[in-house]
Amino acid sequence: MKISYSWLQEFVDIPVDAQTLGQRITHVGLALESLEERDGGSVLDLDVTTNRPDCLNHLGVAREVRAIYGGPFRKPNFQLKEAAKAASEVFSISIADSELCGRYCGRYIAGVKIGPSPDWLKKRLEAVGVRSINNVADITNYVMMELGHPMHAFDADKLGGRQIIVRRAGLDEKLTTLDGVERALNPSILVIADANKPVALAGIMGGGESEITGSTTKVLLESAYFNPGSIRKTARTLGMTTEASYRFERGADIEMAAFACDRAALLIQELAGGEVLRGMIDVYPGEAKAASVNLRRDRIARVLGAAVDDAVVNEIFERLELKPVQTATGWTVEVPTFRVDLAGEEDLLEEIARHHGFDKFPATLPASRGFGSPLPHESRVRRLRGFLSAAGYSEITTYSFGNEQMEKRFYPDIDPLRLRNPMSEETTILRTSLIPGMLSTLQWNLNRGIRNLQLYELSKVYWNGGERRTLLLGACGNLRMASVHEAPREFDFFALKGDIEELLAGFNTTVRLTTDNIPKYYHPGRFARVGHLAMFGELHPEYAEPFKFRQRVYMAEIDIELLLGSSENRQIEQIPKYPAVKRDFSLLLEKGTQYATVHRTIAGAGISELIRVEPFDRMESGPFPETKYSLSVSVVYQSAERTLTDVEVEGFDKRIIDILEKRLGAHLRK
Amino acid sequence: MSSEWIGQLRSIEQQFDRERESAADLRSLEEVKNRFLSRKSGLLTLQLQNVRNVPAAERAEFGRIANEIKGRIETALEALQQKFSDADATAALERERLDVTLPGNRRRIGHIHPLTLARQEIEDIFISMGYTVEDGPEVEKTYYNFEALNIPASHPARDPKDTFYVSDDVVLRTHTSPVQVRTMEKMQPPVRIICPGRVYRRDAADATHTPMFHQFECLLVDEGITFSDLKGTLERFHKLYFGEKTETRLRPSFFPFTEPSAEVDVSCVFCGRKGCRVCKHSGWIEVMGSGLVNPRLFEFVKYDASRYTGFAFGGGIERYHALKYGINDIQLYYQNDMRFLEQF
Repeated sequence: MKISYSWLQEFVDIPVDAQTLGQRITHVGLALESLEERDGGSVLDLDVTTNRPDCLNHLGVAREVRAIYGGPFRKPNFQLKEAAKAASEVFSISIADSELCGRYCGRYIAGVKIGPSPDWLKKRLEAVGVRSINNVADITNYVMMELGHPMHAFDADKLGGRQIIVRRAGLDEKLTTLDGVERALNPSILVIADANKPVALAGIMGGGESEITGSTTKVLLESAYFNPGSIRKTARTLGMTTEASYRFERGADIEMAAFACDRAALLIQELAGGEVLRGMIDVYPGEAKAASVNLRRDRIARVLGAAVDDAVVNEIFERLELKPVQTATGWTVEVPTFRVDLAGEEDLLEEIARHHGFDKFPATLPASRGFGSPLPHESRVRRLRGFLSAAGYSEITTYSFGNEQMEKRFYPDIDPLRLRNPMSEETTILRTSLIPGMLSTLQWNLNRGIRNLQLYELSKVYWNGGERRTLLLGACGNLRMASVHEAPREFDFFALKGDIEELLAGFNTTVRLTTDNIPKYYHPGRFARVGHLAMFGELHPEYAEPFKFRQRVYMAEIDIELLLGSSENRQIEQIPKYPAVKRDFSLLLEKGTQYATVHRTIAGAGISELIRVEPFDRMESGPFPETKYSLSVSVVYQSAERTLTDVEVEGFDKRIIDILEKRLGAHLRK
Repeated sequence: MSSEWIGQLRSIEQQFDRERESAADLRSLEEVKNRFLSRKSGLLTLQLQNVRNVPAAERAEFGRIANEIKGRIETALEALQQKFSDADATAALERERLDVTLPGNRRRIGHIHPLTLARQEIEDIFISMGYTVEDGPEVEKTYYNFEALNIPASHPARDPKDTFYVSDDVVLRTHTSPVQVRTMEKMQPPVRIICPGRVYRRDAADATHTPMFHQFECLLVDEGITFSDLKGTLERFHKLYFGEKTETRLRPSFFPFTEPSAEVDVSCVFCGRKGCRVCKHSGWIEVMGSGLVNPRLFEFVKYDASRYTGFAFGGGIERYHALKYGINDIQLYYQNDMRFLEQF
């Protein structure tokens, strides 16, 4: 809201300059956004919060200024000269829907001469951002900027039947508003109509036909009060915001309507000539009752933190034109109609707080009460993040929005959560998985020459009916970069698998791998799952294609809640007292024999002293038949009770070799 | 008396002194040692073997001097040996010298996203002040997102222009405040919670807006909670988060769910109130909204408004983080460019 410093001075004495005023008034709740110096003086742009429509004009802001600095408060004071002829003889006004229109004041002015406004008026309006149109239109705007009440001036000759009816629009009615747009109306919309048809959108914009023009001589001035909810709804339905609707939807002052009407009539008479017909036509079915609010004195200290002297409280109320009556326990305050925001005790406490000054209340800390705590599993989540950092993965955060087509490629069976009003056609749903966001992030970085990436996102996915947290790892490029110290090493399936194994082991979860139920977006030969807990592998080339990846991409999907929910109860394994014996075998196996089978077979030898089996070399071809491959395995034996003898160890070896030979047809390589 | 015998001893001694000068390393020193002290052919050894030829009268003297010389030679040899072996060890280490100015062989360490770090830091501060972390759904009923927060159906904040709607009565939460209502519904005071999380507003992305961002919000309801407590809590938080020199200032404002309401400013973290571009030369930066809980909210959750008062405040995690690190485009948080992420 633009406020002219010199205009304010008409109503109050201001002992400081505009800059200081701006800073000071910020601290009563009218924040200074900017200060502009114009040839007509300083203009303060104040941020008026939605609860304070009374400050959307100079008089209202002046009231706050006076509450700060005291001194006289000079409301406009004038005597309107009326013609002998009564307005009611030539015009009539009725309200058909008193719920939506609580008051309608009209003044009839005859013999008006439309023309340009005088310079002082133009300048004042321009300073506060209003374009000059003609003298009558400018006066309605001037009064709105001065007193806050939106008004409208009709060319009275264009009003059929010499009457105004405030009513809801009919189903098929139309109105072309001042901006030249034809509006289709309906019964939810309140209109100002003449005997025949709508002539204005109530409280929003006038109609083109009844507009004041150069040939207008008779003016019907409208100064009304409309229901805020109704105006807001209509403005929203029609997508219109005007200075008038802005004020009415926040709440105009029903009591101001008559005063503003006279004020405008006076100015028209002065600046555009003509005579004001006798009597205001004032239809006032929704007469306001003054509200009164009680304030208990002890609540001041109990809610704000420090007591405030009665005299200070009284002064604040009086300067704000609230009418306080002191009672045994505090005050009963009569709230004027312009303060639509004051309804309860807490509202009065706020008035005291902001005008006494927020800085007058000391800073204290609430008494300690028990202890604070993080979200369940938070410490495990932090441990998980620590592990992922150590393993080289960086966390990303992507938007929750998803492209339905893209999401469906990965999770076709999830019923997504659709937005009614998405930002764009590309993001109509909330994501069903973290995969597209991950792939786009890899792409973003790859396009910028950052080729070696290990990323993760730990965040929510959504469906029609729920949301849950999940974890996705994504990686590509080199695990180790080429350097002066060592050769590069590519991130591959087994790098990912190793990370998954470590991760799950860190959460005390046994890794039991299967390769069933391969989702279509994984490479069919490079995928594994750990039950419902984790799925991981290489991205299928077909699914990588839209992202134009030129390198292999690996992903791991981990059910984070399942992981975090795993048991934390465990006890350590004792450190063995006796030495371990390590033995290596080089086996020749039929091609196609999986390592898991070899491992299981060795474990199946039933040697309780066997504590570890580990492959360390694999050759697909060599000095052996083409149908075979060579696998070197080391096994470690250890007893918790004694040092193993050579004879025992040889016996173990034999059992292993025998069972491998019997079950898998394996031979030791000579 | 300076017999011939003793003269010979002295000349061996002088010869040793000359030769030891020329010993340059352990090997040549060994040669010198052998030449003089070798059991079979050492010059001094041989002289000592001659002791029986020395006249009896001189023998004692000869023996004394010979031993003295032997002692001196041995000491000198030992010292030299020490010197040369030290030099050898040094040389051996020298041969192992690396160009330590080469860069370290760094393993890749991952980075936690700055918004996570900021959230953790903020949570930890409030946990230390006795707050419990709470969360709630992002897809939220309009009742919790609006009605129960004193934002009636006609309020402009509910406009589909600003809020993502899933259906008439389900939205993407526009703030973390619904968690306050949900928490108050399930427990009686004292309530002392912090709710961090994702929120959504229909803003096109630019340097200061994104359609999704993160907030944290605190709610404290108890007997005897005052506006002063709100001030003190915010001051403490900002000192812990931005540094002990940070000042906090409250300005009157309006929010439907608090009364009185206040905008919260902190002294500019860049210029310390001297005035700079970031604070638009005001010395202050607006960081959050706050206020005493509007008693009307207590009606929704059936709290006794005559017994309890409370305060609430909330800010953007992006904003708090960005201020601390001088980040001038919040879209950086969502681009996930490694050159940004690896700075944290």
